[in-house]
Amino acid sequence: MVTTLEHTATSAEPKGGGLARHQNFATAIIAGGILAWVFWFVARRLFFADSDNVSDEVAVMTATGWMIGFWIGIGAFNGPFRWLVGRDHTREDDLYYAGHNLGRARYWKYTTDHKVVGVQYIITTMGLLAVGGILAMAIRTELIVPGNHFVNQQVYNGFIAIHGMVMILALIVAVSGPWGNFVMPIMIGARDMAFPRLNALSLWTLVSAAVLLVTVLAVGGLPVGWVVMGTIADQAGVGMDFFAMAIVVFTVSTTVASINLITTVITMRTKGMTLDRLPIFVWGTLVTAVLALYAFPFFFVAELNQILDRTVSTSFYVAAGGGTSWLQANLFWLMGHPEVYVILIPAIAALFEISSVMARKPVFSYRTAVGSMVALSGLSALVWAHHMFTSGWAPALGGPFMVTTELISIPTGIFFLVLVGTLWRGNVWMKLPTVWMFGFIFNFIIGGVTGIYLSDVPLDEQLHGTMFVTAHFHYIFVGSVLFGAISALAFWFPKVTGRYLNEWLGRISFWLVFIGVQITFGAMFLSGLKGMPRRVASYDLAFEHTNFISTMGAYIIMAGMLVLLGAIIHSWRKGEPSGPNPWQANSLEWQVPTPVPLENFETEPVVTEDPYNYGEELVNS
Amino acid sequence: MNRSKGLGVALATVLIGGGALALAGFALATASPHQAALQCVKSTTQAHACSFTISTFPDSEEGVHGKNGGPHPDWVTYSNDNIDVPAHTTVYVTIDQYDSGGAANNPYFDNVVGTRGGFDTVNGKQTTKVGADDIGHTFTLHGIPGNGKYLFISVPLPVNNATKTPLKIGDGEYAKPVVVKFSFTTGGATVYNWNCEFPCGGSREGNGFGEAMSSYGYMSGTITVE
Amino acid sequence: MFSGEKNLKSFFWAWAIITAVGVFLSVFLTHRYMPQMMSNDGNLATETTILFSILAAPVAAGVYASALHVMRTYRYRGEGVPPAATPIRENTKTLVTWLTASAVLTVFVLVWGLGALAAENSSSGNPLIVNVTGQQWVWTFSYPGSHVTSDELYLPENREVEFRITSVDVTHGFWVANFGVQVDANPGVITTIHTKPNRLGAFVVRCEQFCGLNHAFMESVGHVVSPKQFSNWLTSQPQRA
Repeated sequence: MVTTLEHTATSAEPKGGGLARHQNFATAIIAGGILAWVFWFVARRLFFADSDNVSDEVAVMTATGWMIGFWIGIGAFNGPFRWLVGRDHTREDDLYYAGHNLGRARYWKYTTDHKVVGVQYIITTMGLLAVGGILAMAIRTELIVPGNHFVNQQVYNGFIAIHGMVMILALIVAVSGPWGNFVMPIMIGARDMAFPRLNALSLWTLVSAAVLLVTVLAVGGLPVGWVVMGTIADQAGVGMDFFAMAIVVFTVSTTVASINLITTVITMRTKGMTLDRLPIFVWGTLVTAVLALYAFPFFFVAELNQILDRTVSTSFYVAAGGGTSWLQANLFWLMGHPEVYVILIPAIAALFEISSVMARKPVFSYRTAVGSMVALSGLSALVWAHHMFTSGWAPALGGPFMVTTELISIPTGIFFLVLVGTLWRGNVWMKLPTVWMFGFIFNFIIGGVTGIYLSDVPLDEQLHGTMFVTAHFHYIFVGSVLFGAISALAFWFPKVTGRYLNEWLGRISFWLVFIGVQITFGAMFLSGLKGMPRRVASYDLAFEHTNFISTMGAYIIMAGMLVLLGAIIHSWRKGEPSGPNPWQANSLEWQVPTPVPLENFETEPVVTEDPYNYGEELVNS
Repeated sequence: MNRSKGLGVALATVLIGGGALALAGFALATASPHQAALQCVKSTTQAHACSFTISTFPDSEEGVHGKNGGPHPDWVTYSNDNIDVPAHTTVYVTIDQYDSGGAANNPYFDNVVGTRGGFDTVNGKQTTKVGADDIGHTFTLHGIPGNGKYLFISVPLPVNNATKTPLKIGDGEYAKPVVVKFSFTTGGATVYNWNCEFPCGGSREGNGFGEAMSSYGYMSGTITVE
Repeated sequence: MFSGEKNLKSFFWAWAIITAVGVFLSVFLTHRYMPQMMSNDGNLATETTILFSILAAPVAAGVYASALHVMRTYRYRGEGVPPAATPIRENTKTLVTWLTASAVLTVFVLVWGLGALAAENSSSGNPLIVNVTGQQWVWTFSYPGSHVTSDELYLPENREVEFRITSVDVTHGFWVANFGVQVDANPGVITTIHTKPNRLGAFVVRCEQFCGLNHAFMESVGHVVSPKQFSNWLTSQPQRA
């Protein structure tokens, strides 16, 4: 294989890089730890923290120290600093940063190559899912019988918010992170993302925030529920400060990533890649990135206000100072509802792509599908107050928000039409990605339909604060998004590793997770209908049976996810080799060699039609 | 992609290991020193009766939370959290109140509610109510309806203004206690939760239900009927 | 899209069977698991749940039957990569049918919901007023015009009740599952909801908004009693606030 980079042939030894030669994840952790300690030490002197309790000021300073240290340690400031002093990166430095000839070490570094970043996102997602999954098992174990046996209610309350937030983070990046970075640039015929260094920045800011978020567990948890309601957050300890800091940095990460994705799609498309020839997954990431750019700044402001209230006595959420916790609730849900579609749309778009390849047919109603994604993201900005139907805030808005919310079922219905329409009369290839896709279709109907129950204001006044809601959004997040993400993983795994994801382990995992989801969340619907509130560490005897069943189902899901983890590890190391285009797909990412060389294409490809024309000549061949 | 052989294993191990460590850290951080449940002592003179005595302290120096008050020596605390009592029994409770106080944020908790006879005794004197500004703490017990016999008991513990004759308990020194006595009758096996309803914990906005009030093992606990 | 379709009969059978199972389950599970409703709003919640389930069953069954049909009829059974299928890029008729059907269903659900919402907001006048106070981790109920404050909620049958809900500390959620009414108790704010108990019996008041350490244990008992029993109860209560 030959690449366009002349350096490949001349030298196997990486040159350039400067300080970055000594920087990796380990130095980032060490530098972060050291600077966190320094900031903590200084802050304690500054703020005279009382003897037995670390104050909020100290916690915020410590978290800031961690972040800055981590970014220095990973090398995020190298480039800007060298530019400032007039010693900008040379070509050799850029090659070093792209991970050229660095082997496995590049996965631990501030690497700019979009494919390395994609793999780093896979690993980050798996790590977050592991932490959130362990917490889910702890929560379900506590709820196996009424009363507090496994953990007490303080520990339990500390778990639930971190479980929620860690899982939300994991799912936000689960599809658009790995595949938006790894395959999306190749799909549009680009050599890399528009801003490779920003790409590395968005990944490593995410990692620094994720580590801080998990650290909350070690300082007493976050006993406030994942919506971090303003009034109860007042009683939370320093975990709340760490959480708010982690969110502030996380929103910076998503903003940077969104700008990068949008710019890449707009400006980096190859010759002939017109907007109506874009693979639909690219449309999905584009719509998602625009939506994320709109949504996450609300979260940034929400948590920044929280930090200011706690440290410098502002009163955004403090009633005594003229503030209101409804401001927090509004800001949170202005982010919180679009965020659901930031999570959902990439998974759906990936499934459109997969359904076309696996059915050997074009995506059915391509333009309508794109239109639905755009309509959905537009509507999602106008429905946030349905999370506040029972809050007592602005009851007159119940009707209008019921209208916008129920309109969502029309574009969502289109998604089913497109998926089923693509498979209809195809030659459906029942491989692992297809299997998980059928699981998605099954669960997404249940998650979607139960959403309509909750959008009906009078019925929501029965079901709002109950396990019914929990079951509903777990059918969306676990039953649908996670299934879509695993389908996408199985589909693009051969492109990343050159090997198939093990079919049989993958199917065993599918059946375990699929059955587990029906048992766990099916029974949870019944708990909710019967009247069990959410976020409780114990419950009435009346809810005994359904909770026991839910816990058993959760253990089955856990077993299935462990089998999947085993399948991934096994297949990554010694899976069956797949070659560059195992699914015989037409889109550009399958036309380049595997492993994909640095800068992807030898010569810039020219596109003459969309990638869905099966049975005719492959594009670009 | 041979280069990444083992990468998955290594990273997964590190990340899962990290998660497990964080969980262990969390467990250690939040675990108050374990207290064995207090047993209700069976009466030798009366059938189906038992008694226990607990105390409320203005700080945690008295030893329940470890030497020198443990992690939060200045938090108020009850002397016990979990209490075991027998089923279908009259339980005689004595609470020694060592702490100062003020007004509760709901005057309902100035009243004695749900005890046997609807009264308690304060230093031997029978009463049903405490002055609105004289609440030290409350002992408020309630169950989940549907789980065994439903009880709602709330007993105000009057403020302790005594200054003379300091008593040494554990690492702390306290004035002579106000002694509150009351009794109630249990049904079948179940678990009740009790907590204090006087805003005696710290918090930013001053509603007084943070810190000690929001932490397990300080101002709340369970009564297990078995 | 159906013309000349193989296995069409089994597709419709699958649809009919799944619909029937769905309708049966929605009626059966709702009756089995939703609590015994004790107010007009509670009855509405049960009816709406059943109605939406019955409406949803054929739609979900349509998607399930299609998925099963695809798995059976269009599954590629050969070795290796399946050959390309005949491309269908658009089908206006299907698209329009689908859009019309989903729009009609959505509008129906909206009309039902908005109508119910309007009915719920209209008040009959002369309601019994109950002040509900949430605090960490108990509810108290007081009856303006009487001396009574209690930790148990007593309500007379067949008289509209107006709950005026507030909190003295953090946000709580006032919820009676048997009444189908739920609203947050916000500190410094009085939120009002109405309902009309129409069945005698006991119920549970639960907190449905996370409120700290003992949130799970913030439950109280309530009773719907006859008007006579209610006034007897009021007079028998001691002065407590």
